[in-house]
Amino acid sequence: MNLPRQNTASARRRTIKDTLIAYSFILPNLLGFAIFTLVPMVFSLVLAFMNWDGANVVSWAGLGNFKQLLRDTTFRIALINTFYYVIGTVPLTMAAALGLALLLNQPLRGRNFFRTTFFFPYVASLVAVAVVWNMLFHPAVGPVNQLLMTLGIENPPRWTADVNWAMPTVILASIWKGMGYYMVIYLAALQGIPAYLYEAAEIDGANAWQKFRNVTLPMLTPATFFVSIMITIASFKVFDLILVMTGGGPGRATNVLVIHTYNTAFKEFRFGYSSAIAMVLFVIVLVITIVQFRMEKRWVSYM
Amino acid sequence: MKKYYSISLLVILMLILAACGGGDTTPTDTSSAETQQVETAVETAAEEVAVEPETANEPVTLKMTVWDIATTPYWQAVVDAYEAQNPDVKVELVEISSQEYQDKVNIMLSGGDDTDIITVKDIPGYSAMLTRGQIVPLNSYVAADGLDLSVYSGAAEELTFEGSIYALPFRSDIWILYYNKDLFDAAGVDYPTNDMTWEQFDAIAREMTSGSGADTVYGTHFHTWRSTVELGTVQDGQNTVIATDYNFMKPMYDMVVAMQNDGTIMDYGSLKAGQVHYSGVFKNEQVAMLPMGSWFIGSLITAKNEGEIDFNWGVAKYPHPTGVAAGTTAGTLTSLAINTNSQNKDAAWDFIKFYSGPEGAKVLAATGNLPAVRNTEILDVFSALEGVPPEANEALQTAAVRLELPMHPKVGAVEQILNEEHELIMTNSVSVDEGLAEMTSRITEALNQ
Repeated sequence: MNLPRQNTASARRRTIKDTLIAYSFILPNLLGFAIFTLVPMVFSLVLAFMNWDGANVVSWAGLGNFKQLLRDTTFRIALINTFYYVIGTVPLTMAAALGLALLLNQPLRGRNFFRTTFFFPYVASLVAVAVVWNMLFHPAVGPVNQLLMTLGIENPPRWTADVNWAMPTVILASIWKGMGYYMVIYLAALQGIPAYLYEAAEIDGANAWQKFRNVTLPMLTPATFFVSIMITIASFKVFDLILVMTGGGPGRATNVLVIHTYNTAFKEFRFGYSSAIAMVLFVIVLVITIVQFRMEKRWVSYM
Repeated sequence: MKKYYSISLLVILMLILAACGGGDTTPTDTSSAETQQVETAVETAAEEVAVEPETANEPVTLKMTVWDIATTPYWQAVVDAYEAQNPDVKVELVEISSQEYQDKVNIMLSGGDDTDIITVKDIPGYSAMLTRGQIVPLNSYVAADGLDLSVYSGAAEELTFEGSIYALPFRSDIWILYYNKDLFDAAGVDYPTNDMTWEQFDAIAREMTSGSGADTVYGTHFHTWRSTVELGTVQDGQNTVIATDYNFMKPMYDMVVAMQNDGTIMDYGSLKAGQVHYSGVFKNEQVAMLPMGSWFIGSLITAKNEGEIDFNWGVAKYPHPTGVAAGTTAGTLTSLAINTNSQNKDAAWDFIKFYSGPEGAKVLAATGNLPAVRNTEILDVFSALEGVPPEANEALQTAAVRLELPMHPKVGAVEQILNEEHELIMTNSVSVDEGLAEMTSRITEALNQ
């Protein structure tokens, strides 16, 4: 009997050659990832246990940075503000995106125009968006407050100049900017729902709300899962919008974790401590994402 | 697969070690080695420079960091004067926008940039650069050339930290009071004098406030910088802004917050949200008085010459607390330092000497800026400039100048806290007392860390 001779040296050499060719295809991306993402991440992880001011010697700090985090009032405020921002942004953006997607899935006139318009803020320059929103919400001469005053509200909120209203203003700007992107994802998912499901529901006598609750929402769970993960991670990392709109102020009202990281690193030159804050943020996002993945099995149904 | 994992881990570890190895220079080692080299080099260079400044050995290009060249005429003017005297030296200006100047310079220097001359824009930046060994001490150069630092009227002492001076001041601005003569004439109110207390200033400002809506003329204007309010608190010399108890700031904050609530000045929130610049409100005749730095004189002269403004403006001495001599004011220093990584330190020193010395001062004064070297000759050049109001000569004479932000290793962290609390007080989010109490507790904590 002739056994196929698979274990010869030439067969092994061939496997190695194939593997090397495969690696050479992904090498450019892998190199870029390693140099610009992986190495800095590991460096940052190591730096969280060190003291460094950017120019002098690196010295070992052990858990000193993390102990100091517990005493730092600004860190506590930044942590609370970050959760405030996430809890405000995530559900509202998802709801807005879903609402827009449902609306723009109907056969309306000018539907494509509206889809483009709602997507546009996502690609608009963030600095331009922040500056324009500041102008709109200017406490004295901004159109929003002018409108509120003509409607009879004597002392409209002072938006970014008020500690209580600064975060809601930033959340609003963020929702407006991000909802277009997630609207597109929901649109694609909506268009993937087979029409016979709706027909079956109609035959069973379902009205619009029942169709939405029993056909649309369950079929959208994969997209919802994806959107919720993406938007949660992005919201924890918010930085540039807040920096341009309020600079973390007034006082520390909109100071979030990444802004605190930026201040400690580049204003106070404490790179070790700043890396420790970044590590805490990383762990928080990691835990939340793992929880979300664990819960996937319970509520996401792939038809 | 295991083999590939261990190899890739090894590579990553090696990369990390390489990155760590780069930042291992201790400042004390380099500076002592440098001063030895510098002393020998300066001895030979000093003779050459003293005898024949024109015959340098080979053409040298010096690079210097500056900001906003288009609106700041003196950078190029002094460079031209120096290059005329030293044809073998060329000076290249590296322009950085003034809003992000210090951040950008910090990153450049951390990356090992070799730009020779670093302009020091403010004290936190100065503190950051010298504590990290990024600029060299100039004591040996000063001693070798026998420079007398008393010509800077105490500015050199303000820049000295633990016995070493790391930058020479070339511009020393003081805070004065600008006012719109036409508005005062129209209201029939006497011009501000050179000897006003803050109470008198408050009274005049309230008298000059008039109109409503878009036609409002505000008595005065406090720009969003915390220094506009906090300068008045350190004039008596009893405290600095790095303190253990901030209650001494209460009178000034009470006055400014009252002015804001009564509509005598534009409110902080609107100014911050609209990013309103003080030059705009003064040039548009929306404010009758403006406490601001002397650098604004040059701006106003240019504006008048270009027809941007057509009203008469004047200057007076900065108001002072009761019991403090008139002419006591606050100052800011702009200085020049030499980068530790520079390859042309001696040529850079020669340029800095010129820029900060009497010759550079004359060019600076001719462009409408106040140099750090101040004697009657230079003040006369300044006052003789077309467009400078006649009372400027007297207004610019100072009894004592205090640095608004003194040199301290933790000044960066302190300023961050001061800015945050200032914002809270000025937006009426907290009362003045609460804000000052928080300032005290947070800064005490920061200084003890």
